[in-house]
Amino acid sequence: MNIVVAIKHIPSIADDLPVKGNNVDFDSVDFVLNEFDEQSIEQAVLVKEAVGGTVTVVGVDLIGELDNVLHLALAKGADKAVKVTADEPGADSHQQAKWLAEAIKGMSPDIVFAGVQASNDLDGQIGPMIAAYLDMPYIGGVSSVEAAEGTAIVTKEFAGGNAGKYSVSLPIVVGVQAAPKPPRYAPVSKVRQVAQTATIEKISPSADGAGAGLSMKKMAPPVVTGHAEMFTGSSKEVAAKIVELLKSKGLA
Amino acid sequence: MLTTIEKVIFILLALVSAGFTIHGIKTIVDSVRKGRPTPELKNVPSSLLKAGVAVLFQRTIFKARKVLSTIHLGLFFGLITYAFVNLVDVLEGFIPGFELIYGGRNFAFTFLPAGIINAFNLIADLMSGALLFSIAVMMMRRFVVKDKRLNYRENVLLNPKVKAGAHQKDSATVGLFVVMHVAARLLGQAYRLDTGADPFMPIASFLNSIFGASQTGLHIAWWVSIAWVLYILPYITRSKHTHFTVGPVNLGLAKQNPHGQLDPAVPLKVVNGNHYDPGAKFLHDLSWKRVLDSYACVQCNRCQDVCPANFYGRPLSPSALEVNKRYLIKEATFGSHPDRLLLPLTETVISPEAIWSCTTCYACVRVCPVGNEPMADIIDIRRRMLIDGAEIDSGVQNALQSLATNGNWMSKGKRLRGRWAKEMEFPVKNATEEPVENLWFVGDTASFDERVIPNTKMVARIFNQAGLDFGIMYQNESNAGNDVRRVGEEGLFEQLVEQNMQAFGKAQFKQIVTTDPHSFNTLKNEYPQFGGKFEVKHYTVTLLKLFEEGKLTVKNKLSHYKVTFHDPCYLGRYNGGFTAPRKLLELLGVDFHEMPRNCENSFCCGAGGGQIWMGKVAPGERPAENRIREALTTFEKNSSDKKQLFIVTCPKDMVMYSDAVKTTGNEGKIEVRDIIQLVAEAVGVEMPIEAEPAPSPA
Ligand code: SF4
Ligand code: SF4
Repeated sequence: MNIVVAIKHIPSIADDLPVKGNNVDFDSVDFVLNEFDEQSIEQAVLVKEAVGGTVTVVGVDLIGELDNVLHLALAKGADKAVKVTADEPGADSHQQAKWLAEAIKGMSPDIVFAGVQASNDLDGQIGPMIAAYLDMPYIGGVSSVEAAEGTAIVTKEFAGGNAGKYSVSLPIVVGVQAAPKPPRYAPVSKVRQVAQTATIEKISPSADGAGAGLSMKKMAPPVVTGHAEMFTGSSKEVAAKIVELLKSKGLA
Repeated sequence: MLTTIEKVIFILLALVSAGFTIHGIKTIVDSVRKGRPTPELKNVPSSLLKAGVAVLFQRTIFKARKVLSTIHLGLFFGLITYAFVNLVDVLEGFIPGFELIYGGRNFAFTFLPAGIINAFNLIADLMSGALLFSIAVMMMRRFVVKDKRLNYRENVLLNPKVKAGAHQKDSATVGLFVVMHVAARLLGQAYRLDTGADPFMPIASFLNSIFGASQTGLHIAWWVSIAWVLYILPYITRSKHTHFTVGPVNLGLAKQNPHGQLDPAVPLKVVNGNHYDPGAKFLHDLSWKRVLDSYACVQCNRCQDVCPANFYGRPLSPSALEVNKRYLIKEATFGSHPDRLLLPLTETVISPEAIWSCTTCYACVRVCPVGNEPMADIIDIRRRMLIDGAEIDSGVQNALQSLATNGNWMSKGKRLRGRWAKEMEFPVKNATEEPVENLWFVGDTASFDERVIPNTKMVARIFNQAGLDFGIMYQNESNAGNDVRRVGEEGLFEQLVEQNMQAFGKAQFKQIVTTDPHSFNTLKNEYPQFGGKFEVKHYTVTLLKLFEEGKLTVKNKLSHYKVTFHDPCYLGRYNGGFTAPRKLLELLGVDFHEMPRNCENSFCCGAGGGQIWMGKVAPGERPAENRIREALTTFEKNSSDKKQLFIVTCPKDMVMYSDAVKTTGNEGKIEVRDIIQLVAEAVGVEMPIEAEPAPSPA
């Protein structure tokens, strides 16, 4: 089975997000792999382990540091890594979907996995748009995939803890919400070994702009407006304070 | 004394016995040699000699169980005496006129004065009594009183033979041997006394007064006594009683590197061009020393007694690990299951759950009388499990992932590491930008954990007030890797060491000061192997020095506090840092009370070796909770209405024990404080005027 995983490198929010002008200050922020993509890599490797095949991981190299992420994916069980060398840290999901689709097109995949969304755009567009560009069906919110020759059983999550099982025919693009198992750990020694031996295929991005056409007006950290006041004391005292507060606000 | 036929039979039997014994010894040597190389041992003869002396004085067993250890003295000296006694017995049997009773009255050889012979008789006689008494106590303990400490928890993985009580049978056999052998020998001597009592053989004389003298009796007793020896010698090479001989040898070959330095995951020395994968999956992936450990093991369970994981009801028993190894080898060599050596250790000697329960507290290694290191096996097995992609606890995995990307386990950005310092009322130097005398290696918990940061700031204030020239490395500091290594992630450990070594390379400093005992341990004991040649001090030592130099002075004595102190494993047991914190407490004038388990015997808080990262919390009384109760009992014995404090010198302890005070419902009775809080109160630290800035939204 020919499995492709489209991944996204995004600014880390482990630090305070630095802002420059009306966007993130891309020079002083670390980039990390989108956490839903971690799930989708795991799902891809699980499918490969179940039915055989190859897993190819594709991503857009926005800041020239994607290799680390690709090495990690290879250490976790992916077989091939491809990067689109865009060097455009601000490229939005629409633009990235276009580039990714162009890279995937020639691979004739059976399944393309993509994280269902990413925390920077939060628009869940990568998967559906790749599907549109490649003229393949899309199913999102997926929590498990069991593939067979030409078909797959896909579990999709719904609100309220419900899940639906779909039988889909391949090829298909799958938006992964979660893998059935937590993503495996790749020991650093293995990642380092991969980093020394692996070759990463490079693809140049096409020039035509396919962005969403939206532009950022302003970006700023949220303003802190006062703190919560904690009432302390016995339950009676606390109750009295609450009543008093409600009264002072004219609510009781 | 013996007839010619008897002599021939004896010689034949002795040859058979020797053959089996030699085969037994050879089997041991062969299986030990199959293990991997250990780090090089220096000056082996002298350490063997030292171990011999330690064993002669039975020093190592007295680390625990004082009463039983005293009884063991009887067995030990009794059996040593009996090695000579048996020799004499054989000579008495073979050489006409060789008889030592009555001061050698019938002794045909004139070179030995009667005084020496009498002394020998007296010692042999009394030692026989001591042996019988000691073995009776030991057998009572095992089979009648059924000392619980000799059992294993239900959930501990045991070799089926052990589970069926093979080790008990083993003890019974040897116990029976000692009883029969010694009793027969005593009786034999009694039968020899044909002219009444010999004052130098009180016990034999007493028996003689009952049974009289008899040549037939003598022959039978001689044979019973000696036949047992011929049987037991080969038996011993196949039983737990190899500890008689392997124990001392093992002690002599024990690790020479610092306690706090783990052996490498892959041997540094390659034998016969072998390829080694990191860590251990099968028995012979362990170093030969770990294989020898299993032969040395007495199965005394002293290690299990002190194991915090075992206390906590986890399926881990360091002694079961050794016993299982032993029976695994036995089945493969003397039994019919060499194939079992090809099963992973996680199926044959220790369960994966047990593997992940070890806090790497070192208590098992410290207490073991024969120098075993069960903990080293555990870490080697973890190492291979990680490489082989075994499923690991999600909490541990998150921590490792964050360590790989952020250099800390708390999923915080690198740049947040020095945030607390930027909030200080005075500038805290960046040691990677300007020279400092003391490079303060802060550690993850003290840098990021909101509960601990006030103490971190207090340390900075005290250092500042004392005029100590210090700086931190801000975002250039990474986790030192102590617990990463002990979780078994050797590659990540090396990566962290590289990052820190790079940062140290940018900095100019005279020495490193740490607030975290875990960082302290690896910086001091393991970084030298990666080129880190620097002096490392724990902050308790630095503080003490500041007092001694008069840079800090106690303004208010703290006699209104009743205080006990918890030795952190990585400061105390690993690195012997017992005195500085105690001297500090003395200087501060607190009312100090030692808990029963202190210094070397300190009880682990349960956080080490990656346990603090575990996502799952097992039910049962946690080690930290037990420790808080121990502190309270200590205080109860010295009751007064002073405020009761539990003093720690490790940021992880601050978190662990504050938690334990809450979960045991003891808030208000006891408070956990870092020693720095007491120092601050005693020296009267100048606090900033404005309140602590509120944490800004993450
Ligand atoms: S190091 Fe501590 S926790 Fe680990 S086995 Fe030994 S005593 Fe138990
Ligand atoms: S490992 Fe040491 S302490 Fe533990 S049972 Fe064996 S001899 Fe006793």
